[in-house]
Amino acid sequence: MSDVTTTPAVLHLNNVSKSFGSNRAVRGVSLSIQSGEVIGLIGENGAGKSTLLKILSGNYRHDEGTIAVNGREVQFRGPADALRVGIGVVHQEQSLFTNLTIAENIEVNTPIGRGGVNRLGLYNWRRLYADAAQALDLIGSHLNPKTRVSDLSFVDRQMVEIARAIRVSAASHTTPLVILDEPTAILERTETAILEREISKLRDIGSVIFVSHRLDEVMRICDRVVVMRDGELIADRAVDDVTEEELFRLMVGRETHAAVRSRRSIDPANSPVISIHDLTRAGSYADVSIDAYPGRILAILGTSGSGRESVARAIFGAEGFDSGSVSVAGYSGRQLSIKKAVALGVGYVPAERKTEGMVGEMPADQNITLTHPGSAALGPFELPRRRLSLARAWFEKLDIRPREPEHMLQDFSGGNQQKVVLAKWLNSAHLKALVLDHPLRGLDPGAAETVNAQIRSVCDEGTAIILIPDTIDEALDIADDIVVMRDGRISGVFDLGHDNPATLDLLERML
Amino acid sequence: MTKIDSERTKVAVPARGKLPSVKRIGGWHAIGPIVIFLAILVVVAILTPAFIGSGGLAIIASSSAPILLLALGQAMVLNVGSIDLSNAAIGLLGAILLALTLGPVAGLSPVIVLLATTAFGAVNGLIVAYAQVPSFALTLGTLGIFQAVALVASGRTTVYVASNGEGVHALYESGIANVPMTFWMGVLLAVSLWVLLRYTRIGRGMTAIGKNESAAIFSAVRTRSLKVLAFALSGFAAGLAGIAIIAQAGSASPTGLGSDLLLPAIAAALIGGTSISGGVVNPLTVIFGALTVALVPIATTAVGIDAQAQSLVYGAVIIGVVALTMSRNKSSIVK
Repeated sequence: MSDVTTTPAVLHLNNVSKSFGSNRAVRGVSLSIQSGEVIGLIGENGAGKSTLLKILSGNYRHDEGTIAVNGREVQFRGPADALRVGIGVVHQEQSLFTNLTIAENIEVNTPIGRGGVNRLGLYNWRRLYADAAQALDLIGSHLNPKTRVSDLSFVDRQMVEIARAIRVSAASHTTPLVILDEPTAILERTETAILEREISKLRDIGSVIFVSHRLDEVMRICDRVVVMRDGELIADRAVDDVTEEELFRLMVGRETHAAVRSRRSIDPANSPVISIHDLTRAGSYADVSIDAYPGRILAILGTSGSGRESVARAIFGAEGFDSGSVSVAGYSGRQLSIKKAVALGVGYVPAERKTEGMVGEMPADQNITLTHPGSAALGPFELPRRRLSLARAWFEKLDIRPREPEHMLQDFSGGNQQKVVLAKWLNSAHLKALVLDHPLRGLDPGAAETVNAQIRSVCDEGTAIILIPDTIDEALDIADDIVVMRDGRISGVFDLGHDNPATLDLLERML
Repeated sequence: MTKIDSERTKVAVPARGKLPSVKRIGGWHAIGPIVIFLAILVVVAILTPAFIGSGGLAIIASSSAPILLLALGQAMVLNVGSIDLSNAAIGLLGAILLALTLGPVAGLSPVIVLLATTAFGAVNGLIVAYAQVPSFALTLGTLGIFQAVALVASGRTTVYVASNGEGVHALYESGIANVPMTFWMGVLLAVSLWVLLRYTRIGRGMTAIGKNESAAIFSAVRTRSLKVLAFALSGFAAGLAGIAIIAQAGSASPTGLGSDLLLPAIAAALIGGTSISGGVVNPLTVIFGALTVALVPIATTAVGIDAQAQSLVYGAVIIGVVALTMSRNKSSIVK
């Protein structure tokens, strides 16, 4: 419990609960946040973080308990109420209007008559730009408010979202509480550094709740970390009193057991499964040559402008290229189509799991047999009973929980969904290569660890893996080969069998 | 204005717990169509008891046949996330072609008509799949084209079957359980499509397209061919509807029987549990959708609504059913 303070807490939750039917998503959460504090909120997927955030943002109404802002109890009837008292949420998936200017986006929630929009609902452009510039200035950003959002990089857009979140409270002279929901999940490391700087600026004007799956980041940025598990707030620690390992254990309920991967150099007797040669796509990447060998994990590192995602998509036939060649298992064609790539034994786990990787409204077992029916097929037919038993076998092998493959895939947690997507490719009788685009994105550390374990075992069975990792550490942790790309060109190649690059080496070649 | 991500608005599921046992789309889509049909039937039976006694059900079934056939085709197209506004026009054109050709080529005529309407549908599908013209705009255009062709082919008048009409007419005259074969043709098509959707990889692929086209593409589902197939099936079903029209009326005209089936057929597909946003369809419940639509004129008369206002009822029913069943966590528009 917090000490008696002279000023009331910016936010005080007392015994807040929320149930959906029989599922108690949030149970008796009490939490106090002081002005200027940066709180880390961590927990596995499904631990209740999202529900708690939705209560704070006014999207959900809590069933029990009280919420007080600046000492006054509040009842949110909708997101507008939360904004009015200064709570702004920056969602993981961006919600900006890309066809409008930065200023219009920042001002969109400002009450009419207070900012650049007068009482008749008309724009006062000069005022609009000035207010937006002021909001940006508060967080130390120097973006031009007249710029269209569509012209901004991802991290700049995040800045605009933060500016928008604090704008309302600035207009109504309250202390802002900014909630950042996994803002760094899809940022590259350098961009993360920029964001971290901006978050520390927020400390001067208000408080921050920072939700992240990256424990190292939480330790660096936050003053205090709260851990949720099964809907309950199970720990509230100052960062100085806790270690990353301890946080992991609190979150997941077990110790980390990631084994160090033993590595060998490329066997000269082996020939590559995937060999790309001088691959070029104008404006994206140029002269990229990469060989991927069976039983090895090749990680491609690079920042968001490096073109590595496009290279990965070219290997799967999902994006075209202008010159060069991609040869898969001996076949070499001018352009590869997805169907051709799959027929040759390539699988692809896209970064956008929900939109590209899976059909969420289909049962898990049907997702598994969508591409390769395996033993479920009988000519053009697919037998539901066989499909179910095949899916059960995969659920067992990959430890997908709960073991109910007949349920809609969207009802599973992120890590288990990702394993189903993996199973879809593993169900191929002739899988030769697997392209993994940010396979751990959005997964909590526990789920990430089990997905990684599966990737390793697939690789050990002789599949070539091409991996686009989220972080350098992920590459160093799991890869056998590392290729670094910068501005569309290869800037470094390491065989971890005999090279031992330091994080800094790799980072240098990325920037 | 905060955009809420659909996935996150749902109940968080504990990783080790049980998943929600009630299937999200279960209830309505499985039994709703039957319940609605029975409810309206009960109302009609109470208001006009004579109707049930005098073989009213058989009358409903026989008048529902063209609607059922068109609705099944529409349901297949809706299932892949598209819409076919031209299928009723294709059906009517098929009827006119049948009336024109039955005399000269006799038994070959229905085959020619079915091949032609299937090809019309396939052309729709090819343009949607390969030229990526949104199906709503494309089939609105081809609707106009097929109507014009029907006007020209018929010379703006009613085309009567000159000779050899007996075989086709027998489809309406003969029947099982007092219900003409045209209706059973629809039931047979429904069962075939049900098998296609439930037990074949083709059907699974179609449903995957309707639910998430990007994921289907990235899973190497043959999305283009399957879209063409869905439209071709719609054309084929429209051809069968044309045959049913001739079987019933013995003639076809651009303004006669079958000229205003678009709205009723879409209503039948939707009442039958088909999702307007794609990926949800059950051809078997579409049968009840078509029966309900055929019951509407009788029910409106029984309740005392002017027969002229039927179209109003279809329109209201479409809006109502979609409003009730639309899965709102999916904000995609109908393409």
